[in-house]
Amino acid sequence: MGESPPDLPEAAERRLASGAFSSGLSVSDFGACLEMGLEPVGLVQGFCAMHQGNYAMGAGLSRSLSPYGGAGGGYVQNYQCPHGFISNEHRAWGQNYEQTWVQDAWSHGFTSAYQRMLEEATTLGAHGVVGVIDTETPLGDVGVTEFHVRGTAVKVLDTPAPTSSPWNTYLAGQRLAKVFEAGYAPVSIVASVSSVRVWAYCVTEYLMEGFAGSMWTNATNASSAVEIDQIVTAQAWSRQRVRSAARAQLHGDALHGADLRLVEREFEKGDLEIQAVLRGNRIRRFKEFDALPVPQPTVRLS
Amino acid sequence: MTNRDPATSPIDAKAQVRRAVASLEGKAPNEESTTSDLSIDEELNLHSIGWEPVELVSGVSLFSTPVGLWNWGEGEIASASEAHAQAFKFATKRIHKEAADAGGHGVVGVEVERRVFSTHIEVTLLGTAVRPVHAPRVEANTVFVSDLSARDFTLLTVAGWRPLGLATGASFVYAPRRTVGAALQQKSQNVELKNYTDAMYSSRESAMERMQRDALELKGTGVVGVKVVEGPMSFAAHAVGFAAWGTVVRLAGEAHHSVRPTMVVSLNDVEVAFDAQSLR
Repeated sequence: MGESPPDLPEAAERRLASGAFSSGLSVSDFGACLEMGLEPVGLVQGFCAMHQGNYAMGAGLSRSLSPYGGAGGGYVQNYQCPHGFISNEHRAWGQNYEQTWVQDAWSHGFTSAYQRMLEEATTLGAHGVVGVIDTETPLGDVGVTEFHVRGTAVKVLDTPAPTSSPWNTYLAGQRLAKVFEAGYAPVSIVASVSSVRVWAYCVTEYLMEGFAGSMWTNATNASSAVEIDQIVTAQAWSRQRVRSAARAQLHGDALHGADLRLVEREFEKGDLEIQAVLRGNRIRRFKEFDALPVPQPTVRLS
Repeated sequence: MTNRDPATSPIDAKAQVRRAVASLEGKAPNEESTTSDLSIDEELNLHSIGWEPVELVSGVSLFSTPVGLWNWGEGEIASASEAHAQAFKFATKRIHKEAADAGGHGVVGVEVERRVFSTHIEVTLLGTAVRPVHAPRVEANTVFVSDLSARDFTLLTVAGWRPLGLATGASFVYAPRRTVGAALQQKSQNVELKNYTDAMYSSRESAMERMQRDALELKGTGVVGVKVVEGPMSFAAHAVGFAAWGTVVRLAGEAHHSVRPTMVVSLNDVEVAFDAQSLR
C-alpha cells in the first residue's frame, strides 16, 4: 500500500488492505487475464454526485436574454427572422449556443469519479485497471447526476512496482489480449461530452412543425422539402466538438473502439438540448504490427 | 511487418504484456492521432489487407416535409420521398467531405440511422475513414462511403471487388381508402386488403428503382448488403413506406477472385465458450 490518496475513505483503505481480492470480471475474462499475466487485486470504484449550477457562468439563470448575450465563451450562432415581422408569437431570432457549464459539470463529475477509482487502484499497488465500466444516473434532485466509474485493478506479474498512475481500459479478456497482440498498449479510457441548446427562430420552428412548403420557410418551391439548417448545424457541431475534445486527450496516441452517442431533449418544436458523449480507449503502439495472414472464410460443419 | 504462423510460433502473451506496459513509461509518440469506432477484430481484419483507420467521421441532415402531407390521398407522397432522398444525399455528402479532409480513401462500417417523423426526416451516418497504411491523400471524388463492416470490406477486397459508395431509394405511398361498401362487406371476411398490398408493391418498385439508379450513377455493377425497411407509418397507418440502401460495388480488376471457404469441424462442445489455452 502506498500513501493514502486524499479522496480515499478510511474504511475503503482498511478493506483494500485486508488481503482477499475482488474483481468485476466474468469468469472467462478472469481466466484470460491470468493467461496474460495480469493478476486481479481488487474491484476499484469512484463516485461523484455532481450538481449542475444554473447560476454558473453562462448558465440559464445568469445569461442575458439578448440574442447576442453569448454563452460563457463557447460556440454561439445567431439566426435572424427573414420576414421583418414582429409579434409575441413570432420568434424573431434564434440561437445555437454551447452549454459550457453543462460540459464543465459533466467533465468535473466524470473526472472526479475516474480519478477516485485510480486512487483506489494506486492504493492497491496496481499497474492497471481493466474492464472499466462507467455510468451516469440522474439522482432525485433536479440537475444532480451520479457518476460511477469502476473496474478491476490488476498487477502485471514479474514486473517492478508501478511508478506512475495505473493505465486503464474499457476492455478485458480476449479483446484486451488481442489489443496487446496487435502491438498496442492500453493507456487510458477517454470520455468527452458536448452540449448545445437550440433556441429555434421562426423558420426552424415552422420547419419542425412541418410547414416546409409555406411562405414562412423560405422554400423556393412550395412542394419541395427544405433542410432544417439550424438543427443540422447544432448536431454537426456537437459531434465535431466531442471528437475534438477526445482528440485533445490523445497526445499522439490512437483512439480505438469509440462509441459516439447523441441524445436530444425537445422542449417545444425546434427547441432542443443536444448532448453528445464519446467514449473510447486510448492506445499506444509499442511494436510494429505483425500482420496476420489474410483471413480465410470457413464453413463450420456441425 | 512480419507474417507469423500461429500454429508453429505461439504468442508469449505474458512477455508481450510486460513489454507493452514497459513502453508506457516513455513519452507519448509525436505522431498524428487517429480515432476510430472499429473493434480490435475489425482493425486486425483491415491490417491483414494493408489498410488502417484514420478518423471517426459523420454526416447528418434533416429535411422538413410540407404540412398536411400525410393526410388521405392517392399515389406516391412525393414530398416525403424527396425529403428522404435529399436527407440521405446531404448526410452522405457531409461524411464524404469529412473523410476526404481527414485523408481517408474511404469510410467503412457506416452506421445508418434514419428517422421518419410526420414533420421531417432525419438521416445520420457515422463511420470510420480508412486508407491503405500511410498512404497519401487521394482526389476527393475517389473516396467511397460504405456501410459494409471492416470484415466485409476485407472479404470484398480479397475477392477483387471495390466499394464505390452508398446507394439508396425510398418511396412513401398512400394506401387508397376502401369504399364504405367494400369496408362493410370485408368486415366479416378473411380477405386480402388489395389497397395495402398494391401500395407496398408500388413503394417497393419505386424505391428499388431509385437505389438501382444511384448504383448506375456511381458506375457500379451492383449493390451488396441491401437493407430494407418497410411498413406503415406509426403516425399515418394509411400510408406505407419502403426504403432500401446498400453499398455499390464494382470489380477492381479483370475478374472475380474466387475465395473458397475451408470446411472446418470444431472439436469443441458448443457449450464450452471459454478456453484459456487458445490465448497462448
